[in-house]
Amino acid sequence: MEKGKHLYYVVLVVLAIVFPIVFNVPFVQHVAIMVFMYGMLAESWNVIGGYSGLFSFGQAAFFGIGAYTSTLLYMQLGLTPWIGMIAGGLVAIAAGIAIGYPCSKLKGHYFAIATIAFAWIINILFTNWSFVGAATGLSPELAPADSWYAFQFRSSKLPYYYIGLFLMLLTVYVVNKVIKSKTGFYLRALGENEEVAASLGVNIAKYRLISISIASFFTAVAGSFYAQYVLYIDPPSVLAHFLSVEIVLIAMFGGSGTIWGPIWGALILVPLSQYARAIWGGMGSGLDIMVYGFVIMVFSIFRPRGVVSFFIRK
Amino acid sequence: MDTTNLVQAMVSGLLLGLPYGLIAMGLSIIWGVMNIVNFAHGEFLMVSMYITLGLYTFWHFSPVMSIPVSAVILFGTGWLVYRYIVSKVMSGPMLAQVVVTFGLSAFLQGLFLFLFTGNYRTVKVSGILSQSTNIHGVYVSYPQVIASLITIVVTLFLSWFMKNTMTGRAIMATEIDRETAKLMGIDTEKVNALSFGIGLACVGIAGAILSSYYYISPYVGLLFGLMSFVIVALGGFGSITGAVIAAIIIGEVESLGGVLVGPAYKYALVFSLYLIVIFIKPRGFFGW
Amino acid sequence: MSKGKRVLGLVVALSLVLFALYGVAFATKVIKVGAVYPLTGDIAPTGKLCKEGVELAVDIINGKYDLDLIMARTEGIPSLGGAKIKIIFADSQGSPRTGMAEAERLITSEHVVAMVGGYQSAVVKTASYAAERLKIPYVLSDATSPALTRRGFKYFFRVNPDDVISARNFFEFVQDMEKKFNRKLRRVALLYENTEWGSKVAAQQRKWAKEFGFKIVADIPYYHGATDVTSEVLKLKSSKPDVLMHAPYVSDAILFTKTFKKLNFNVPLWMGMSGYLDPNYIKSVGKDGEYVVVRSTFNPDLARIKPLIGKVNELYKKKYGRDMSGIAARSFNAPLVLADAINRAGSLDPDAIRKVLLETDIPGDKILMAWKGVKFNKIHQNIYARYILVQIQGGKYHTVWPWNVASTKVVFPVPAWNKR
Repeated sequence: MEKGKHLYYVVLVVLAIVFPIVFNVPFVQHVAIMVFMYGMLAESWNVIGGYSGLFSFGQAAFFGIGAYTSTLLYMQLGLTPWIGMIAGGLVAIAAGIAIGYPCSKLKGHYFAIATIAFAWIINILFTNWSFVGAATGLSPELAPADSWYAFQFRSSKLPYYYIGLFLMLLTVYVVNKVIKSKTGFYLRALGENEEVAASLGVNIAKYRLISISIASFFTAVAGSFYAQYVLYIDPPSVLAHFLSVEIVLIAMFGGSGTIWGPIWGALILVPLSQYARAIWGGMGSGLDIMVYGFVIMVFSIFRPRGVVSFFIRK
Repeated sequence: MDTTNLVQAMVSGLLLGLPYGLIAMGLSIIWGVMNIVNFAHGEFLMVSMYITLGLYTFWHFSPVMSIPVSAVILFGTGWLVYRYIVSKVMSGPMLAQVVVTFGLSAFLQGLFLFLFTGNYRTVKVSGILSQSTNIHGVYVSYPQVIASLITIVVTLFLSWFMKNTMTGRAIMATEIDRETAKLMGIDTEKVNALSFGIGLACVGIAGAILSSYYYISPYVGLLFGLMSFVIVALGGFGSITGAVIAAIIIGEVESLGGVLVGPAYKYALVFSLYLIVIFIKPRGFFGW
Repeated sequence: MSKGKRVLGLVVALSLVLFALYGVAFATKVIKVGAVYPLTGDIAPTGKLCKEGVELAVDIINGKYDLDLIMARTEGIPSLGGAKIKIIFADSQGSPRTGMAEAERLITSEHVVAMVGGYQSAVVKTASYAAERLKIPYVLSDATSPALTRRGFKYFFRVNPDDVISARNFFEFVQDMEKKFNRKLRRVALLYENTEWGSKVAAQQRKWAKEFGFKIVADIPYYHGATDVTSEVLKLKSSKPDVLMHAPYVSDAILFTKTFKKLNFNVPLWMGMSGYLDPNYIKSVGKDGEYVVVRSTFNPDLARIKPLIGKVNELYKKKYGRDMSGIAARSFNAPLVLADAINRAGSLDPDAIRKVLLETDIPGDKILMAWKGVKFNKIHQNIYARYILVQIQGGKYHTVWPWNVASTKVVFPVPAWNKR
């Protein structure tokens, strides 16, 4: 079984690598890139929401912080977005701790609403802060040709595709490592029952912050990736409340608290929304949103534990 | 900023906050009893506004006359939504309800966009519903006053209902401790359905009266839904009076704070206030 | 591996392949042109009006119409054997990311040869970047942010006037009003929705106010999804402006109008744009919208000086059952200018189209707008484009400025709410 499992993964990765070469259609590649981005975001959320029991509805704040940090560093100092990406992740960790520390006593829904409030405050501040472009947002100067330094690729989507795939797999790998480690054990204890965890001597505040830091970092990296992909960011597109909700939705839909659940969620929901819009959106009738909502609703009634529940034998 | 404008901002804040309270109260009951986040709450407000629009268009009902109709329809909707949708995921993981109610909210938005297009509509009101009065330079519009009065009446009624009727006590008991309530012979499934119905009935009332001074579109529920989340958390989940008081505070911050600090930051103020309160009192004003 | 897992894996894999195949569309004989508009979301009603304008233009290009308009008297594109234009619409949902993705999809999967439209500046920004990257001509006639034509793009052209022109026209109008009514109107309040578009409008207005020597007494950005705007209006009220310049989308235009009335905010000269031009506005606020002066590029009553406008408006009325709005009329231009270019190029090659677009010199009597014509400068902005101002009177828009094209006398000052 173990050997078969490895083979299964190898086949999947090879398929993922070959896929954009076989389907060399930018829209298909775009959908795949969005799958990777959302997969990464949902997997990061999984660390706090799925394992540690902290339901954050404000991940857009960290996504936006990542996008803004790398773009600003590039525009102001000419620093390559590759370093900007890491810097964005670090700034996001700082922000995560700044909000996570005072929130350390909050439970369940109170924590959830606090994260919503935090994300909105960040959104409003950025909308009115002229240094970060205020409402107009930021658009870095467009490189004349493909450039690894500027992290801009105009001639093909393939680099974005492979970078996205790599980042998503990296996130999955790191999250998997963390969860299987001793830290991960404490995180899960936190998620199952905080009081019991505390009585066993787990330093709740510390592990909460660790969990928040991991999630914030990868969310911000995804934000930088987005900024380099679209090359235009403004508060409604990278700090929107709706983005936070989407992240939770995808993780939950796929099955949070499992390693591959969030990825399954992205693999199903992202193409569903993209293609529903591509097929029916041009009419502007709302049919695409209706279908999207309906599928989510019906599916979660029959599979409340997410897509991965197909895999867990009862 | 002169005094008249400050008084005006305070009065407007109160008249803005109270109807928020009505919407939030419904959310609070659902949240308190079932411990679920109803993401479709704002969309049900939208549904009740379209009901009011329909009653007006076909039978010339004024929004005030639509209140009971809308409340009853929404009560029934709530009951059905609980029985056939929400109850199916109650046994799932804690946030499975989020997914279901989010799906429901997207579905409702899409459905109403499909049925009625995205056009903005209003209910043409006449008589007292279209007027406002002026007290020493402070303007007060009657529909908002009526909405606020109705909020107060509903608050008093629900508080009475929860304390003094068997059904109300059953709901309260379930809210405090579901397992014990079950042991004592309370049909908690029925209580859930009932609370969902009552929660949506509140929204039904709010939507009807809001239609007299607000525009109607498939997306109208978005920010109302979000504001009611914050209000409920500020007041404490499950608390009816908490929701109303929190709503008034939020209304004041939005209106008075907007005038004093700058309108661009008014929602930042609202959310900051929530964070400050919650850092000091982690379960809101009235939560246990 | 469980059975469920295998079945699910298969289903997902199969549907992904099907989805992927859907993207590989087949080339047809018609000339496909892409258009991205906000067809869902809170700006959807306006996006739909744009779509109607584009559809009517395509009818005129493809059919034979006895109109003194470019591409009207011939069927399809004569130089390409009468090939028909087909517009493929896509929904941007008002989001820059979606706008970009949909533009790419239209270009690479639907094989459109050119793009038109967009409406929201933030969306056009990313959609046109996608087109530029894929070397596809983009002719815009309905987004106004000045930044769009200042990026040095090779394939991007704008037919309609931008917000620099708009801001200047606004202050020219106020100056004209001062002369006409012999009354100082120096205190100006700016009110604008706070995204790319609104904030750029305000920036231009600030600049021109300084140039013309006006005083900005209030400068108020707001969130256009707000549930209540009391504090914004109270700020306005206490600044006691002579002129209000408001840049809203439609839902906030409605909400502000209701709040102005509720709080008795009176301003002698009430000027607006965009959202005020959406027919949903007048329908929603009724008489309360009277006397707003709105910027537009078109109005049915200009038929008096340009009969073509009346004829096109009749066609529109026949198709959609109501008067052509300024919004629909604006979007109407891009497909015509593009079709004319394709016809002159006699080819679908992007560079050939681009080359003739640069040479475009359409005289004013061949276009719908009351302009001197269409001719692009070095940043590809139509140099003849300008605004007119219309005022809502009796539930309809009437042209009031420039004075020489006005059909109706401007009502000034706007009567107080209690005197209406």
